[in-house]
Amino acid sequence: MRRIMIDYEKCDGCKNCSIACMQAHREDEGTIYDLNLTDPRNESRNQILRVKDGTYRPLFCRHCKEPECVMTCMSGALRKDPETGLVTYDETRCAACFMCVMHCPYGTIKPSHSLQKVIKCDFCAEDGYEPNCVKSCPKKAIHVEEVEA
Amino acid sequence: MIEYYGCRTCKSADGQLEEYIRTLPMETSHHRVESQDTKCGFGLQGVCCRLCSNGPCRITPEAPRGICGADADTIVARNFLRAVAAGSGCYIHVVENTAKNVRDIARSKGEIKGVNALNRLAEMLDIHEEDLYLRAEKVAQAVLDDLHRPEYENMELVRKMSYAPRYETWKRLGILPGGAKAEVFKGVVKTSTNLNSDPMDMLKDCLKLGISTGIYGLVLTNLLNDIVLGEPELRLAPVGLRVIDPAYINIMITGHQHSMFTYLQKRLTDPDVVAKAKKAGAQGFKLVGCTCVGQDLQLRGAHYEEVFAGHAGNNYTSEAVLATGAIDAVISEFNCTLPGIEPICDKLQIRQICVDSVAKKANAELKEFDFANRERVTEEIIDSVVETYMKRRGGRLNLLVDHGNDDTLTGVSEGSLKEFLGGDWKALVRLIVSGKIKGIAGIVGCSNLTAGGHDVLTVELTKELISRDILVLSAGCSSGGLENCGLMTKDAVKYAGPGLREVCEQLDIPPVLNFGPCLAIGRLELVAIELAETLGIDLPQLPLVLSAAQWLEEQAIADGCYGLALGLPLHLGLPPFVTGSPKATRTLTQDMKHLTGGQVIINDNAKESADILEKIIQEKRSGLQI
Amino acid sequence: MRHVIIGSSAAGISAAREIRRLREDAEIIMISRDGHVHSRCMLHKYISHERDVKGLDFTEDNFFETQRVEYIQNEVISVQEKEKCVVLRTGEEIPYDRLLIASGAQSFIPPVGDLRTAPNVCGMRDLSDAQTIDRMAESADNILVIGAGLVGMDAAYGLLQRGKRVTVLEMSHRILPVQLDAHSAEVYQREFESRGAIFYLGRRLEKTICGVGGQICRVVLDTGENIDCDMIIVAAGVRPAIDFLDNSGVEAGRGVLVDAGLQTNVKDIYAAGDVIGHSAIWPNAVKQGIVAARNMCGMSEKYTDTFNEKNMMNFFGIVTLYLGQICTRRDEVVMTEEDRNVYRRISIRDGKVTGILLQGDISNAGVWQYLIKNQIDISNIKENVFQISYADFFSVKADGEYRWNYQRQAAE
Repeated sequence: MRRIMIDYEKCDGCKNCSIACMQAHREDEGTIYDLNLTDPRNESRNQILRVKDGTYRPLFCRHCKEPECVMTCMSGALRKDPETGLVTYDETRCAACFMCVMHCPYGTIKPSHSLQKVIKCDFCAEDGYEPNCVKSCPKKAIHVEEVEA
Repeated sequence: MIEYYGCRTCKSADGQLEEYIRTLPMETSHHRVESQDTKCGFGLQGVCCRLCSNGPCRITPEAPRGICGADADTIVARNFLRAVAAGSGCYIHVVENTAKNVRDIARSKGEIKGVNALNRLAEMLDIHEEDLYLRAEKVAQAVLDDLHRPEYENMELVRKMSYAPRYETWKRLGILPGGAKAEVFKGVVKTSTNLNSDPMDMLKDCLKLGISTGIYGLVLTNLLNDIVLGEPELRLAPVGLRVIDPAYINIMITGHQHSMFTYLQKRLTDPDVVAKAKKAGAQGFKLVGCTCVGQDLQLRGAHYEEVFAGHAGNNYTSEAVLATGAIDAVISEFNCTLPGIEPICDKLQIRQICVDSVAKKANAELKEFDFANRERVTEEIIDSVVETYMKRRGGRLNLLVDHGNDDTLTGVSEGSLKEFLGGDWKALVRLIVSGKIKGIAGIVGCSNLTAGGHDVLTVELTKELISRDILVLSAGCSSGGLENCGLMTKDAVKYAGPGLREVCEQLDIPPVLNFGPCLAIGRLELVAIELAETLGIDLPQLPLVLSAAQWLEEQAIADGCYGLALGLPLHLGLPPFVTGSPKATRTLTQDMKHLTGGQVIINDNAKESADILEKIIQEKRSGLQI
Repeated sequence: MRHVIIGSSAAGISAAREIRRLREDAEIIMISRDGHVHSRCMLHKYISHERDVKGLDFTEDNFFETQRVEYIQNEVISVQEKEKCVVLRTGEEIPYDRLLIASGAQSFIPPVGDLRTAPNVCGMRDLSDAQTIDRMAESADNILVIGAGLVGMDAAYGLLQRGKRVTVLEMSHRILPVQLDAHSAEVYQREFESRGAIFYLGRRLEKTICGVGGQICRVVLDTGENIDCDMIIVAAGVRPAIDFLDNSGVEAGRGVLVDAGLQTNVKDIYAAGDVIGHSAIWPNAVKQGIVAARNMCGMSEKYTDTFNEKNMMNFFGIVTLYLGQICTRRDEVVMTEEDRNVYRRISIRDGKVTGILLQGDISNAGVWQYLIKNQIDISNIKENVFQISYADFFSVKADGEYRWNYQRQAAE
């Protein structure tokens, strides 16, 4: 499977990846110039967190080999796709029970602002599985690599 | 659930204030620190360039130059000079208005409260004029003439206002400034798209802007204001949120231009105006000091005891002051008026009025201060504040009556301190030579929320320094934090080292002296110059350091450039946005020592910073063989 | 090899999927009373009419075809250990090579008054219960829910959404007594009350009074108070569904007894999910199903994730999560953080988190389960412990999966 690899030491905390993610998943049409940065519906699936020593840790969904989120999903909304290895999310099935949120130890899945669904990385499936966060990183702190599923 | 807006506010050196803000039902800047925690590294290092449509360009190992070819040094120097120019512009705006006010008052033969101050300044500027009002007018005009000179003409008062050895250094370095406004203009032009790309040339301009900012924006603003507003006098005053008395119609003032309140503060105590307040159910009017203009009123508080309630706090205390519910209006004329007070004013129905369009807040009515129309505008302001008072009062108050203290020593200036010490600086010099006082630190500038939290580094560093027998003089929002934390009360000698403690107890003064607003950094520098004169040395030899531990804004950067031009060591808690440029960083932190004698020291740890500053003071003492 | 699975909920379905993943050629038979595979965690949404039967199905479309699982809708009445077969209600015998008992649990109706016999009393355990409640609620206006645990509150939620008058009776002095602390429970209580729910807390049911057709029309509490009702939902807990194992040789206590590999005392018979009676939550049942399946396929795996002190709820836009236990033992440090949107409470002993409750904002909460489960020392990581996240333990393996780096923290 393909996975977003993280070289955290290169991260400069510019959050370009977060904006790229918001842009890629916005509900309305538009360009990065008119992306509403204050609309809570435009949520980023990744997060850049600063740790004690002032350096950054970029957190992206791993699409784990044994995904806790999938094992805990009681609606069938989250699945591990045997073909691509990706953990897919079907919003129409989701019952917003947030068991997945409670179980993902990495915090890469979270309730949506509306509390009606969850926000999770889809590897930019609609863009041909080429994650926009990776394309946007000016420091190349993230890249996609084929790994053993 | 409880009504706290959010439970994670940043730390404050002032624990009581921290708790008060944490439990407020409205959002403040202290709440937003967490959500802005992840900073863009490019921005922090100053290597993001947005000067053209090819950008924003950012410097990375794979992209060491912007599309235009600018490297990190050029991008950083451009961004830095822009910031210095903007900061200088701010202070030059202030001195220009101040000089205009002196001129207008002189022309209209208004009240001149500080005749001595006028005479001293006229003397310095070589202006000899019998008539008091003409004398004042000529002094003001001389300043205005300099400000309005073209960039290619050196300003005339620089030589008169500066310490001779410094002037020679500046001349040698080619950094004597032209007209102050024109220098700002030039800074903006130089740094525009595809113009100057020479980092050293731009850094030199920063020093030029520093000199015009310091001499005009800082020193002269104070001395001009002393003419019409009165000279500072030592006295004990209340500080903190305790100064707010809900029985009055309270006006919080924010900004930096005391001169703009001259007429209003007088009217507020006139019987016909007080009667308006009484009719509305209040006992009268009070101006509640906040930010630097509050410090200005506090500094000259001896002249305004009736109308000035006291200084409530610095820039990042302003939201708390409003949250008490007992403020009816905010009158602002300059910066440190946070945009974040707008929703709070909306919520609490507090009227916002701006008297200078440069500080027009989105919510505020603009009642531009204008000498000719001052009477009409003032009456309009008073009536609208009374109206607001009647409409909004009756709600729940959230006072903090035991915050702050009643006995902060205020009114310290180059003049009042010298007078207190017996009319000259010999006594202080003797104490420094004997080592009872190892040296002097000017803790200046702003407060920010990111160097440990609100006033945290400022207060901790100050405690460290006084414990090492270093006398601290403070000016700016830093002094707002230090006073609310009690460091300017006599009780604070308990934090002082044995030598300093003995001196303070003998003189009955606190170990941290409050010079007031950031403008008064100019007064500290006058003290430094006079000390150097007394010792017969140049400024870089003095055992004196500066720290803008929690510098916040572009003005502070321009001030800092003045400090560097003066050849003083300047400590900063957080670096300005220059560290992406090796050249700029090296110049500011190292090479500057060989140019002006100054240096920038970056450290965000109070103890380490104090160690470094103490070491520098020791080195300077050794240099003087004391 | 033929694998027979009794039950079609979390454990049963995950076991079937895992067996198929491991054994392309295995025969898999699933026997369940249920007409439809459904997730019991969503029954309240069926009652509230937010979801239909299909909406409760947690398996992918055509699960049984694509996974090649034969589904028999029937009830197992006994297990013949020696013959290695199970006997259905219809008399049919189904032989097995490996058997997984994942029959779950059933509602416990306390023997008070006529609760066990009256026709207008129902538990809320599976789809048929929900369908019964849905039908009865058509003509019932006053509905009494006994028990204010998660199931009781689920029922109350569904019925309030239907516009019913709901009264909740609870022995404890607060709602959700096992799941929440008093403070966070009160938030829900007020929210339910604002939507019309009436709570009788700290009271017991003493007797029932029947009216027409033997239906309970009124109950009397230990305080002497009366509550009129048209129907009653009992949410007073569950018991493992093990009646059919009598005389089967499979040992059971409160639930079926299993070893670390989830095998019962009888070779080739495994059990997973609520039927083993110690961790009545969905994620654990799924994981047990997977472990049992692997062992049924000849692997040797232990079920280790026994942590079950975890609750999550989302009612009326208020989310709450509770992990571990927040006691007030003297050696525990309790910290809270609260504003108008959020309530957080954590307890720490010797630098290790013993429990956490998050209400209002549960983003990034998964880290806490890991830290509690694995007893990780969190001293000196963040000044405000609530700001701890996985970022503080960040480390990646060669394949890009995350791992936990807490040595670094300890060393600092």
